[in-house]
Amino acid sequence: MTNPKKILIIDDDPDYIAGIKPILERADYTVEVAHNPKEGFNLFQARPFDLLLLDVNMGRGAEGVAVARKIRKNPKYNAIPILIITGIREQLAFLFPHESVQPQFADLDGLLEKPIEPKVLLEKVSTLLKLFEEKKNI
Amino acid sequence: MDRLDKIPRILIIDDEEVVLDSCTQILKKGKYKISTAINGESGLQLLNEFQPDLVCVDLKMPGLSGFDVLNKIREIDPNIVSIVITGYSTVSSAIEAMKNGAYDFLPKPFTPDEFRLIIGRGIERRELVLETIALRREKEMMKEHFAAVVSHELKSPLGAVQQNLYLLEDELSEKLNNNQKELIERMKTKINDLINLIHTWLRVISVDVNKLKENFKKISIETVISKAIENFQHQATRNDVGIDTVVTSSTIFILGDEGTLVEAIGNLLGNAIKFSRPGSQIKLFSEVIDDQAVISVNDSGVGISNEDLPYIFEDFFTGEPGLKKEKSSGLGLAITRRIIEAHDGTISVSSELSQGSTFTIKLPIIKT
Repeated sequence: MTNPKKILIIDDDPDYIAGIKPILERADYTVEVAHNPKEGFNLFQARPFDLLLLDVNMGRGAEGVAVARKIRKNPKYNAIPILIITGIREQLAFLFPHESVQPQFADLDGLLEKPIEPKVLLEKVSTLLKLFEEKKNI
Repeated sequence: MDRLDKIPRILIIDDEEVVLDSCTQILKKGKYKISTAINGESGLQLLNEFQPDLVCVDLKMPGLSGFDVLNKIREIDPNIVSIVITGYSTVSSAIEAMKNGAYDFLPKPFTPDEFRLIIGRGIERRELVLETIALRREKEMMKEHFAAVVSHELKSPLGAVQQNLYLLEDELSEKLNNNQKELIERMKTKINDLINLIHTWLRVISVDVNKLKENFKKISIETVISKAIENFQHQATRNDVGIDTVVTSSTIFILGDEGTLVEAIGNLLGNAIKFSRPGSQIKLFSEVIDDQAVISVNDSGVGISNEDLPYIFEDFFTGEPGLKKEKSSGLGLAITRRIIEAHDGTISVSSELSQGSTFTIKLPIIKT
């Protein structure tokens, strides 16, 4: 495999990462991991990734959303696909009780609810990467 | 308002400059920030800018009387502690002021010690009031965030367990015999049930009627129904059950929250699918009767027994299992009822064993 795609996972739960990282690695992706939003954002800036897997609630609230916003603001990498992974279906409503959910996530590329079946995850990731590739070539 | 950590602020309102001066003088060495006003009007004007913790008011002043000032202060911020300063002969009016919410009174003339003492006690009172408010607010916040916190704390570990199980199954897939695969399947199902139960349970406590009402908008019943059907179409198809929609009115508008109404009607649809025989039809009617939107979901499934009927909208009530012996949390209809009642609507049911059930929701419409 030449030039394997690079994926960054930002999630505060090492046990969850343990269950998801090997799935991606077995599909030949290069995976790096950050356990908090700050570390994740720095890592993301430091080297080019092809896709970001982002947890929403990392201890205090909607840190994941803040990370996504920061990334989207920067034209250098605002096209890189962000796939939100959240364990809490109703989380979005809880976190933004006075806003409708959609605008918050309008410019994100996907949202999967944890736990994620390996097949579903790999399909979503490959779809997003393909879309990103097409966008780059235009 | 809550500045327990800061220097207490005291506002003194009295028409005698001598009193203002001496009061300031007395408290000068103390740990207070002081502001003064020569009459009621200017005192009230200072209120917003100075944000006092405690106000001393002379009862007898030209212009706005001390009573008027007290009333206004209470209107603006009932948590400001007020102390009445009064001539010795008007003790009775001081008592009247206390009946109206003043914390204490101080008859003129008073000694510096008396003044310091009463101010000290007033400030203690203020701290107590602020502490109570802070505690109450914390309690409200806790209640509000409880659902979010529990959700995270319970579901995260379960999600991680399940994710690891998925991985394990994936990695071992070729090595496992059928029996072992069955075991993993069983674990996955159990964990999934648990995740869903937590989800449903949290929905019950998080459907906050007042909060829902804050966000009510004009919405169309048609949209609600079509979204609810969309959510359940695949499940219906899988169970070989059809959904017919019978709409007899033009567009019906109501004031409400679309998301939760879609959920409520979805719950009814989901139940209808669960209890319907393959090949049968579910009918969804919507019409306007007496200024009410009437939406009913009718199935020709197993029906509900007369003994169960009165309890089906209660929390955690589970009747007979569905045709596929699906697990039920016993909360779906309870949530539905809460949602409908938050919309000032009603929900009712009629059913006959082995004939089917009809659930009817009535909601007040917006008249055009």
